[in-house]
Amino acid sequence: MSAAVATALPHGEGLAARRALRDARIRGATLLALGVLSFYFASSAFSTPAIFLFRIYNTGQDRFEVATSVGLLWVIAGLAAALVGALQLWRGATFRWRPWLLVLLVPYVAVILGALLDGTIANLSRVLSGSFELATPLTLGALAGILSERSGMLNIALEGKMLVGACVSVVVGSVVLGATGNMFAATVAGVSAAMVVSGLLGLLLAWLGIRHRVDQIIAGTVINIGAVGITNFLFLRVLGSSPELNTPPNVAAMQLPFLSDIPVLGPLLFSLRPYVYLSIILVIVLTYLIFRTRWGLRLRASGEKPAAAGTVGINVLQIRYRALFFAGLICGLAGSYLPLATAGSFQMQMTAGKGFIALAAMIFGAWHPIGAFAAALVFGFADSAQALLSILGVQVPPQLLNSVPYIITIVVVAGVVGRVRGPASAGQPYEQG
Amino acid sequence: MRALAGLARRALVPGLAVLTALILGAVVIILTDFENLAQIGSDPAGALGAAVGGVFNGYGAMLTGAFGDPERIRLAFEDPNDRTIATAIRPITETLVAATPLIFVGLAVAISFRTGMFNIGGDGQLIVGALGATIVGVGLQTSGLPSLVILALAIAAAILFGGFWGFIPGFLKARTGAHEVITTIMLNYIGAQVVLFALLGPSLRAAGSSQPISKNMSAWVDVPSIISLPAIRLDYGFVASLVMAAAVSWLLFRTTKGYELRAAGFNPTAARYAGMSAGGSMMLGMALSGGLAGMGGGFLVIGATGQLTNDLSGGIGFNAIALALLAGLRPSGVVAAGLLFGALTTGGKVMGIQSGIPFDLLFFIMAMVIMFVAAPGLIRTIWRVKVAKPAPEIASVAPTAPAEPV
Repeated sequence: MSAAVATALPHGEGLAARRALRDARIRGATLLALGVLSFYFASSAFSTPAIFLFRIYNTGQDRFEVATSVGLLWVIAGLAAALVGALQLWRGATFRWRPWLLVLLVPYVAVILGALLDGTIANLSRVLSGSFELATPLTLGALAGILSERSGMLNIALEGKMLVGACVSVVVGSVVLGATGNMFAATVAGVSAAMVVSGLLGLLLAWLGIRHRVDQIIAGTVINIGAVGITNFLFLRVLGSSPELNTPPNVAAMQLPFLSDIPVLGPLLFSLRPYVYLSIILVIVLTYLIFRTRWGLRLRASGEKPAAAGTVGINVLQIRYRALFFAGLICGLAGSYLPLATAGSFQMQMTAGKGFIALAAMIFGAWHPIGAFAAALVFGFADSAQALLSILGVQVPPQLLNSVPYIITIVVVAGVVGRVRGPASAGQPYEQG
Repeated sequence: MRALAGLARRALVPGLAVLTALILGAVVIILTDFENLAQIGSDPAGALGAAVGGVFNGYGAMLTGAFGDPERIRLAFEDPNDRTIATAIRPITETLVAATPLIFVGLAVAISFRTGMFNIGGDGQLIVGALGATIVGVGLQTSGLPSLVILALAIAAAILFGGFWGFIPGFLKARTGAHEVITTIMLNYIGAQVVLFALLGPSLRAAGSSQPISKNMSAWVDVPSIISLPAIRLDYGFVASLVMAAAVSWLLFRTTKGYELRAAGFNPTAARYAGMSAGGSMMLGMALSGGLAGMGGGFLVIGATGQLTNDLSGGIGFNAIALALLAGLRPSGVVAAGLLFGALTTGGKVMGIQSGIPFDLLFFIMAMVIMFVAAPGLIRTIWRVKVAKPAPEIASVAPTAPAEPV
C-alpha cells in the first residue's frame, strides 16, 4: 500500500486512474497471452486422455463420466482465457474481472489435473464434495474476519480463537457424551461452548484494542500464542492422561430430503455435513445483514469512517465490541468443525494456519461474504485435490503439495491477481468523544 | 544512582509483567490439577494445598533447572573435579545456550519492529538459515578445510538464507502492500516444508535414519567451546549474539541508515517526505532481521545441536516476539530478556521432566507477558503502581497506518 501512497500523493486522482487503466491492460494482455499459450500446449496433448469419473461409493448407482483429452481441455481453457482477456481489454478499468477469474479457474484446474493424472482414471466425486467440506472452516473464519474488519478491527486472532474453539468443543462434547450418551446433545453442547469461549476471546481482543489501545496486531498475536500454549498444555497434561476427555461426538454427513435424491449432484452437494449448510446459510444471512440493513450500514460506517459515524450518533465502540463478539462465535463454530467433523479428536495445533488462510480468503473475496465463500472453495479444492494426487501417487513431493495453500495465500495477499481495498479504518484506534 | 533509579523505573513494568504472567501460569497449573482438585469436596484445604504445592514443585524445578541445584553446587565446592563442576554449572550454561538463539531472533524482531514491520516469521527465518548452514556444513565434509573456515562459510550461508527468507515479506510489503503478518506466518509453514523436503532427501539425511534428521556435523565443524568440560555445550555462539546486540545497537542509533530504518517505522509518510525510501527501509529491515534470525539458526545447528532437525526452532520465533517487546525493542534489553527467557526455557524443560507440567505452558506465559507489556494499564490496575506511559515504539509497533488492512 505504501508504494501506492507514495506515487499517489503528489498527483492525486488522475494518476490512480491511469494506474488502474494500466493494470487493466496488463491483466488483459496477460490473459490473452495465456490463452495463446494454452493453444500451443493443446497441440501436443490431444493424444493424452483425460477421464474424470464421478462415482459415489456409498450408493453405487450414480456413475457419471467425462471422457475427453487433455488437448481438448487446453483448447477450452485457452478459449476462456482469451475471451476474458479480450473482455478486459475492451472494457478497461471498469471491468469486474474478479468473478471471471474464478470462472477461469475451473477449466485450468481441470487441465492441470488431467495433465498430472496423465491418463489415469480419477474419481472426482470425493474431490468435489471434499472441497465443500474443507472450505467450511475457511468460509466461517473468513466470515468472522469480515465482521471484524468491516467494523474497523483487524482480527489476526482467527487462528487462535479457532484453536481454542476446537479444544473446548472436544472437552465439553466428550464430557457431555460420556455423561448422557446422547450424540446430538453432546454436539450441541460442545459447539455452543466453543462458540461462547471464542466469543469471549473476541471480547478480550476488542477490550485490549479499544480500552487499552494495544496495537490490534499485537493483541491478536497475544491470543494466537496464548492459544497455542494453553491448548498444547491441556493436551499434554489433561487429554493425554484422560482419553475419555478426547473422544468427542462425531458430526456425520446429513442427507437433505429430496435434494439428495438428484442424480450425481445429490450425493455430491446435498449429502454433506450440517456445518457446510450452516456456513452457506451464514454467508447469505451475513450478506443481507451487512449490505441491506441499518445495522450493516452502521457496521460499515464504523470501519470506513468512524469519526463520521460517531458524529451522526452511532456508538462506534459498541458496534466494534459486538462485531468482535459475533466474530468470535463464528470462529468457535469454525474451530469445532476440525475435531468434530474431520479429525475425530483434538490434536496439538490442529488449525495449522487455517485462520490465516481464512484471512486470505477474506481478502481475495474483497471483504464480501460471497466472495470469501468462493475464495474458500478454491482453497478447499486445492486441499482436496492434494489428497487425491497423493493417493494416486502422482510424482510431486508431498512437501510441495502441503505448501500449496500457503503459497496461494501469499500470492493472494500480495495482490498479484489485483489489489482490493478493505475497510479504510480497520486497525486504527478510535477515540469516542 | 540516578541511572540505577532510571533502570529500576524502566524495569518495573516488564518485571511486574513477567511476575503476573507467572502467577497466571500458576493459576492454570492449579486449575488443571484434577488429581488433587478431585478431593476438594472431602478435604478442600488439603486439595488446594496439594495443588499449590504442585506449583511450587514445578516452579522450583524450573529455578534449579535454570540456575543450578544448590546441593550439586555444594558438592562441587567440597570435591572440585571436572565431573562435579560440570554437573553444578550445567544448568546455568544451558540457560546461556538457550538464550543464544533467543537473543539472535529477539534482535531480529526488534530491528523489524523498529522498521515498522511486525515480523512473526522468526521461526521460518531461523530454520531456513539453519538449513543454509547445514547445506554448507555437510557439503564441505570432505573438503578438508579447517573447522573455523567451514564455520565461517556456514554462518555466512545461514545469514544469506535467513536474510532471503526475511527479504521476501519485506519486498512483498513494499511493492504490493501484502501484510507481513500473513506472509511471514505462511513463510514459516513453507520454510518448515522446505526443510522437511531437504532433510528427507539423500544428501543431508543422517545415514541409516529414515527420520528427517541431518548428518551430525560435529566431527568436522563446530563452534568452539568457551568452557571445555564434559557435557557443557556453551560455545562462542553466545559471544557472537552479544556482539550482534552491540552491532544492532550501533546500526540503529549511531548510523544514518539506522535513522532511516527507525524513521520508516515511526512515521513512513514523514520519512518519505524527508526523501527517504520507506519501501527500501522495509526491505532492508526485513532482510537484516531475517539474516539475524538465520545467523541464530546457523549457530544453533552447528554449535549446540550439531545436526538439523525439522523441529529445531521449537517456538523460538514466538518467544522472541515476547522478549523483544519486553525489552522495549532495545538491543541491551533484548540481551537481558534473552537471558531471562533462556532461563525460563531451560527451567521449563526441567519442570516438564521433573514435575510433569508441560513445557508448553511457557507459550501461554509468554503471551501474557506480551499482553501486560503492551497494555501497561493492566499492570497499573493490578498492582496499584504508577507506571510511565509505554515507549511510543511499543504503543504503536506497527505504525505504518495500515491503509490496507490485514
